Amino acid sequence: MTIFGFLIKSMFRRKLLVTLSMLSLTTAFLLFILLRSVAVLFSGDVIDVPDVRMQTNSKYAMIFPLPHRYGEEIAAVEGVLAVTFASWFGGTFREGDTSAMTFAVDPSTYFEVHENYQISTEHLEAFLGLRTAAVAPEAIMYRYDLEVGEKVPVTSSIYPNTNGEPWTFDLVGTYRSENESEAAFLPFLFHYEYLKEASGESDVGWYTFTIEDPDKATEIAQIVDSKFENTADKTKTMTESQAFRNMMEQFGDISLMMNGIIGAVFFTMLLLTANTMIHSYRQRIPDLAVLKTLGFSDGKVARYMIFESLLFCTSSAAVGIGIAVATLALIGPYLPSGFVLIVTWNTLFWGTCIAVGLGLFIGLVPAFSANRLVIVDALHAR
Amino acid sequence: MALVNLESVWKSYKKGRDRVEVLNDISFRVNSRDFVALMGPSGSGKTTMLNLIGGLDRPTSGVVTVNDLVLNNLSSGKLARWRSESIGFVFQFYNLLPVFNARQNVELPLLLTKLGRKQRKKNAALALDIVGLSDRARHTPARLSGGQQQRVAIARAIVADPKILVCDEPTGDLDRSTATEILRLLQILNQEHDKTIIMVTHDPKAAEYAKRTMLLDKGKLVSRLIQPDVEAEVEA
Repeated sequence: MTIFGFLIKSMFRRKLLVTLSMLSLTTAFLLFILLRSVAVLFSGDVIDVPDVRMQTNSKYAMIFPLPHRYGEEIAAVEGVLAVTFASWFGGTFREGDTSAMTFAVDPSTYFEVHENYQISTEHLEAFLGLRTAAVAPEAIMYRYDLEVGEKVPVTSSIYPNTNGEPWTFDLVGTYRSENESEAAFLPFLFHYEYLKEASGESDVGWYTFTIEDPDKATEIAQIVDSKFENTADKTKTMTESQAFRNMMEQFGDISLMMNGIIGAVFFTMLLLTANTMIHSYRQRIPDLAVLKTLGFSDGKVARYMIFESLLFCTSSAAVGIGIAVATLALIGPYLPSGFVLIVTWNTLFWGTCIAVGLGLFIGLVPAFSANRLVIVDALHAR
Repeated sequence: MALVNLESVWKSYKKGRDRVEVLNDISFRVNSRDFVALMGPSGSGKTTMLNLIGGLDRPTSGVVTVNDLVLNNLSSGKLARWRSESIGFVFQFYNLLPVFNARQNVELPLLLTKLGRKQRKKNAALALDIVGLSDRARHTPARLSGGQQQRVAIARAIVADPKILVCDEPTGDLDRSTATEILRLLQILNQEHDKTIIMVTHDPKAAEYAKRTMLLDKGKLVSRLIQPDVEAEVEA
C-alpha cells in the first residue's frame, strides 16, 4: 500500500456518497466547459485572424450594402496593400437546414487578401476560370458530404433565383485556413459576377483589406471612414477580429449570462461538496484519531484531508472536462456553420483553477478540524 | 533503569466549571520486559495513566519519562514521531480502519517509515504470521471475528517493532476462550519477543497473565501485586 493508495481508499470509505458527489461535480465541470465555449464564441475570441486584415462595413448595420466603387478608394489609402469584397448570400444546402456561410466574392483578389487561406493552384485556377465555379472549405465539404466536381444546388432567402430554382454551382475546389480556430468560420465561396448577372445586384456587402503595418490600423480605419463620411453610405472600419466581436455582441451579452449560470452552478456545488466533505470528515473522526495514535502527526493528517479534497475535486473536474471536450469534438461537425464551440486554453486554465480552489476551500474546514483533533477525546467518543 | 517512569504525576480535566482530578500524585516505574496489569474500578484513572505513558495525553504536572525521554516537553509533532517508533497500541474495540484489509491495517504504521513498498508488505505479513493470521491477510475487519480483529490490532501494534505495548482492555470485548488466546499471545510477545507490556484490565483472570498488577483507586495507586510465579522467580 502506498500513501496515494491509502488516500484513495480512505476517500471512498462511503462509496455511494462519494461517487454521487463526484458525479455532481463532474456534471458541474461538464457544464462549465460547454457554457464557457458558448461564452467564448459570443465574446468573439474564438478566431485568431491576422492583425493586418481589416474590414469596412456600413456604419449603420452590417446588412446594409456598400457601393462597388469604394474598393478603389480604399486601395488608394496609404498603407493598404490589397482589397477585396464579399456579399453575404446566406445559402442553404439542404432543405430544412439552417443556412451555411456562403459568400459571393471576387476570386481574383479574395485569396490575395486572405493570405492564410490555403488553396491549391489547380483549384484556384479552376475557380477563376468558370463563372459558376465555387470552392468550399473542408468543414462544409464534410458536413454536406460534397465532392469536388459535383454540381451543388443552393437556395438563398436573400437572393432567391429568378427562375425559382436553386442556384447551381460547380464545385471546383476546396480550401482551408492555416489557423485551426478559423476552420468552422470559412465560407462557401462563389463568383460575385455570377450573383451580379443573375440578380442585378450592384453593391457589395463589405470590404476586406490588408495593411502594411498593424500598428497603423486605427489611423487607417479613420482615414477610410473619413473618405465616406459625407456620403449616404457611411462606413465603419476596424480590424477583422474586432468586426467579428462586434457581430457576436449583437446577440447580446451572452458571456455575462453564461458566466452567471456558471457562477450559480459552482456556488451550489461548493455548498454541496463542502457538505459532503464535512460529513465524510465527521464519520472518519475515530479513524483519524487512530492514525494520530499510530504516529501520524497533526499536520500530516490535516494535509491528507486537503489532499483528499483536492483529489476529489480535480479528478471530478478532469472527468467532466474530458467528457466536455469529447462531446464538443463529436458534435462539432454537426453544428451550424460559424457556430464553433471550442475549448480554449484560457477555459482549461480557469477550469483547473476552479477545481484546485474548490478543493482547497472545501478541504480547509476538515483539515483544520483534523489538525486540532484531540486523540483521547476522539477515541473516547468511538 | 526503568523503561517507564512516572514521577509525581497529576492529571486533571476541566468539566464545565469544575476541575476533575483523575490522577493524584502517581509515581510508578516499569522495567524493560515487564508485563504490568493496571486494575481498578471505572473512573480510577487507568486509561488516563495509559494515555500518559503512550504519549496520547500530557500530565497536568509531574514528569513522564519513557526510555530516558521526558515526554512532557516534546512538541506534538515529535510526540507523534516518538509514538510511531516506540509504542504499540492495542484497544478494547480494536480500532481497525474498516476500508482496509488486515494486511493494510497492519501496514499503516509503516507508512511513516522509510521502508519501501515491498519491505512494508513483507513486514506486515510477518507481523500477521506472528499473531497467527497469515491466512486472513486479505480480509477486511468486517469479515473477521472479534478475536481475529484483536490479533490484527496486535500485529499492527508490533509491526514497527516498538519496545512497549500499551493495551487498553484488550480482552474486554471478547469471550473467555478468545480472551485467553489473546492474553497468551501477549504473554508470548512479552516473554519471547521482549516486549514491555502495560495492560489495563477489569478482569482479574486477565491480570493473572501479567508479571505485576497495580491497583488504582480514585486516581491513586493503592497497591502493587506480584504474581506468585513471578515472586518465586524474583526470590530465586
